[in-house]
Amino acid sequence: MNLYSRLSIERKRTVWAWAFLSVPIFFYVVIRFYPTADAMVLSFQNWNLLGARSWAGLDNYVRLWGDPVFWKVFRNTFMYLILGTPISLVISFVIAYNLDKTRFLHGTLRALYFLPFLTTAVAMAWVWRWFYQPVPIGLFNNILSSVGIGQVRFLNSTSNALPSVLAPAIWAGLGFQIIIFMAGLRAIPVSYYEAARIDGVSNWTILREITLPLLKPTIVFLVVFSSIGFLRIFDQVFNMTTNDPGGPLNSTMPLVMMIYQTAFSSYSMGYAAAQTVVLFTVLLVVSLVQLRILRDR
Amino acid sequence: MATVTLRNLVKAYGKTEVLHSINLDVANGEFVVFVGPSGCGKSTTLRMIAGLEEVTSGEILIGDKVVNHLEPKQRNIAMVFQNYAIYPHLTVRKNIGFGLRTSKMSKADKEKRIDEVAGLLSMTDYLERKPAQLSGGQRQRVAIGRAMVRDPSVFLFDEPLSNLDAQLRTQMRLEIKKLHQRVGNTIIFVTHDQVEAMTMADRIVIMKDGHIQQIGTPAEVFHRPANTFVAQFIGAPSMNMLDARWQGGRLHLAGQDLTADLNLPDGSALTVGIRPDDLIVSETPGLFSGTINVLEPLGTETLAYVDIGNGYEVIAKASGRMPPKLGAHVDLVADLANMHLFDQNGKAIS
Repeated sequence: MNLYSRLSIERKRTVWAWAFLSVPIFFYVVIRFYPTADAMVLSFQNWNLLGARSWAGLDNYVRLWGDPVFWKVFRNTFMYLILGTPISLVISFVIAYNLDKTRFLHGTLRALYFLPFLTTAVAMAWVWRWFYQPVPIGLFNNILSSVGIGQVRFLNSTSNALPSVLAPAIWAGLGFQIIIFMAGLRAIPVSYYEAARIDGVSNWTILREITLPLLKPTIVFLVVFSSIGFLRIFDQVFNMTTNDPGGPLNSTMPLVMMIYQTAFSSYSMGYAAAQTVVLFTVLLVVSLVQLRILRDR
Repeated sequence: MATVTLRNLVKAYGKTEVLHSINLDVANGEFVVFVGPSGCGKSTTLRMIAGLEEVTSGEILIGDKVVNHLEPKQRNIAMVFQNYAIYPHLTVRKNIGFGLRTSKMSKADKEKRIDEVAGLLSMTDYLERKPAQLSGGQRQRVAIGRAMVRDPSVFLFDEPLSNLDAQLRTQMRLEIKKLHQRVGNTIIFVTHDQVEAMTMADRIVIMKDGHIQQIGTPAEVFHRPANTFVAQFIGAPSMNMLDARWQGGRLHLAGQDLTADLNLPDGSALTVGIRPDDLIVSETPGLFSGTINVLEPLGTETLAYVDIGNGYEVIAKASGRMPPKLGAHVDLVADLANMHLFDQNGKAIS
C-alpha cells in the first residue's frame, strides 16, 4: 500500500488540514504579509513608482513629524474615531433596543435600517452632497429656510465639514451595528428579564445591570470593528469633497486620503508607506487598548 | 404567606383558547404541584399567577385580593425558572441580593438577610463566586435563594429540576420539600414528572389540554384516579388498560369471565385498569396467563411484559431475586378489589 494509507488517523487528519490550510496561507503570504513587509521596508526608502528605490533612512518619518498637514490629518482621523464610534454605537443600540421590542412591521423596519449598509458609498455620498447644498438645491437648507432658519454651510465651512462628512458615514454603518446589537439582545434569555420584573426592579436598572453587561461581548466587537472603520474612513470623504479633496483647508482629510494623495498624486511612495506604517500602528494600538479595557476582569 | 385562588381562569392566544375555565383553591402554606404532559397549560397557568401572562378572563386572587391587573412586583410572589435565570455576570451574593434591590431595608440588614438565606441553602462558602463556577445543583440553589430572600407570600417553581441529572434531581426534590417544611410558604410547583409531583405535593393538580383532570392528594390521584388519563399518567410503569363488557352479571375481560358486584346496565362497555404492582406473576393459576415477551429487571423487582392473548400485552410484577424466564408461560394473579373501572368516556366508575 502507499505511504498515505499507512499513516495513523491523526496524521491523515493533519495532512488534510494542512492541504486545505495551504491555500489561504499562500494567499495571505503573497497578498497580505509580503506587501505589508514590503511597505515597511519602503517606508525607509524613496521611490517614485517607476525608478529605482533608494535608501532614505528615517527621512520619511522625520518629514512626517515635521509636516503640519500630517498633524492636521492625524487630528481629523481621531475626530472621526472619537465622534463616530460612540455616536454610531449609541444610536444603533437605541434603535436595536426599541426595534427588538417592536412587533409591528418588525421585518420591514429592520430591512429599512439595513438598507444603507447595502448601498454603495459613492451613491450615498453624492445623495448626501445634494442634501447639503445651499438653497434652492439642497434639501436640508430648503427645510431650514422654510422654517425661517438661516443657511448652514455644511461642506464649505472648516468647522462644519467634518461632522457633515461623518454623518452619512455613521448612517451607512448603522444597519450592520443594529443587526449585531439585535443578535446580541436576542441571545439574552427572556427569563432574565422576567425574573427582574418579578423582583420589581426598574427598566433603567434592568438596562444598566442586566442588558448592557450581558451585551459586553457584542459591544467589544462593535467598538473595535467600528473604530477600525472610522480610522480607515476614505470613500465618504473622497466622494463628498471631490472638488476640493479633503477640504476645505484639509479640514476633512483623513489619514487614508493623505496616503492616497501622497502615493498616487505626488508619487512619493516611500513617504506614503511611512504614513501607512503610522496608520497600521495606530490601528493596532487602538484595537489592543480597547480589547484590554473592555475585556472581562 | 397567602392563599391563591383561580376562578374560571381562561387564557386564549387570538382565537385559540389554551386554558379552559380553571378553578383552584390553594390553601395557605400548601404545596401544590401542577403536573401534565407538554402543552397542557400548566406553565401558562403559573405564568398567569406570576403576572407574566395576561389573563383573558376569570380571576386570580392572592390572599383575598384580585391581582389580574397588578404588575408581577406588586403581587409579592417569587419565581424559580427552569433555566434558573441567575445572572452570569453577578456573584452569588449579588444574584441573591438582586431581589432586595427595591427593598427599603438598610444595607446591613440586606447583607444579613442574604447571609441568612445562603446559610439556609448551604451556600455560604460560595457567595463570592460567579454562576459559571458552580454546579447545576448549586445554581439551582442560588435561584431558590433569590426567590427566598424577599420572603414572598407565594413561591412559584417552573420545572426547576428538569435541567438536573437524575441523582441531583432526587436530592434537590428532597431539599425543596425540607425547605417548605421549614419556611412553610405557599408553593405552586410545575413539573411534567409525575414522580416529582407524587413525592413533593400536598395536593396534585393534573392537567391535560388546558383542562384540570383531577385535584387531589398523591394517594387520592394514585388510588382513585378520576379518569383513564390520570390513571395512566400517574404511576410508573403505566396502568394496564383492558377493554371489558358487563353482561349477564359477569365481567367479560380479555377472554375471562369474572364474577363481580357492579351496579351497571347490562351490556355496558368498560375499561378495566390494573396497576402493574397489583398484577403479580404467580405459580398458582390466576386471572390471566400468557407468555413473557420482555423482562425488565429493576433490582428489587422485575417487570414482565406478558402477552395474554386477545391482542393484549400487560405489565406485571415478578420477583427481583428469582425472576421468571423470558418466553416462559406464566400465570398472573390480581385482586378484583384493586382494579379500576372506567366507563366508555374514560370516567371512573366508583
